[in-house]
Amino acid sequence: MTERTEITDEALEALFQVGRDTGPAPSAALLARVMDDAMAEAGVRAAPLVVGKQTPTPATRRGVIGAMLSTLGGWPSMAGLASATVAGIWIGYADPAALDIVTTVMLGGGYEPVDLVPSLDTFLQEG
Amino acid sequence: MPFDAAGAQSDEALLAAYGRGDAQAARALTLRFTPRVLSHAARLLGDAAEAEDVAQEAMLRLWKIAPDWRAGEARVSTWLFRVTGNLCTDRLRRRRGQGLDGVPEPHDEAPGAEARLLSGQRAQALQEALDALPVRQRQAVILRHIEGLSNPEIAQVMEIGTEAVESLTARGKRALKAELAARRGELGLQDD
Repeated sequence: MTERTEITDEALEALFQVGRDTGPAPSAALLARVMDDAMAEAGVRAAPLVVGKQTPTPATRRGVIGAMLSTLGGWPSMAGLASATVAGIWIGYADPAALDIVTTVMLGGGYEPVDLVPSLDTFLQEG
Repeated sequence: MPFDAAGAQSDEALLAAYGRGDAQAARALTLRFTPRVLSHAARLLGDAAEAEDVAQEAMLRLWKIAPDWRAGEARVSTWLFRVTGNLCTDRLRRRRGQGLDGVPEPHDEAPGAEARLLSGQRAQALQEALDALPVRQRQAVILRHIEGLSNPEIAQVMEIGTEAVESLTARGKRALKAELAARRGELGLQDD
């Protein structure tokens, strides 16, 4: 009973066959995520994904907002734009102390952020 | 050349169409390759949830490279197997770094796993034996004997010579046999 006999090539092949037959099937959710990635990457809106006869003129179907979005890189770029906007508003409103550290490190102690703003004096002088 | 219900177009033609923004081509590629990529990742990692993440990432890389794909340079399937293999290897290395020794948990979390039929037991035994192999041997054995790739194709996927592929698969098979020998009776392999 304790004899350790080698598994034959045929027996191993039988196991490989089981392995070939029992691979995991992708869930609908995974397929949807992959398709979402594909569309986001292509900069195409999800609407044209629907199969069927519904594509007379894509440009007019998408409308002005769709065209603008497409120019900017689609919805994914809008997400980045929205994040940047919110961050900008927050920095302007909260004036976080950490920002001073950043400007000090980048500009050195002798400068203030206001020094970066161009002066109007040059333009106001009589030429 | 693989065909599916979405059309009789080659992988490369579909990828080129997707690169031009064709959503139908994206759908066809998704259905054609996601199952293969997922299956390959699941066998390499021995973990279904992680395999899903890898499959999505590998397909994302395909979408990203589509506009720059150079026709005739590599087969889409070969390229995807390579990317999937690399992503899995990275994860396995990270796992080892976390002290898990690269060996995933046994697959008995699903209720009633013990009550599976013989084929289920065999599949599980195979996966556990594969998990015990060094990563490169595991990858070569899976590509050769489960995915059905030829040695030159495996060489392309793994970026090694065909002799190295032969060596890896031979050593992998020997190790698998040794690993499974003790379970011959349990798996009903004595009379095979």
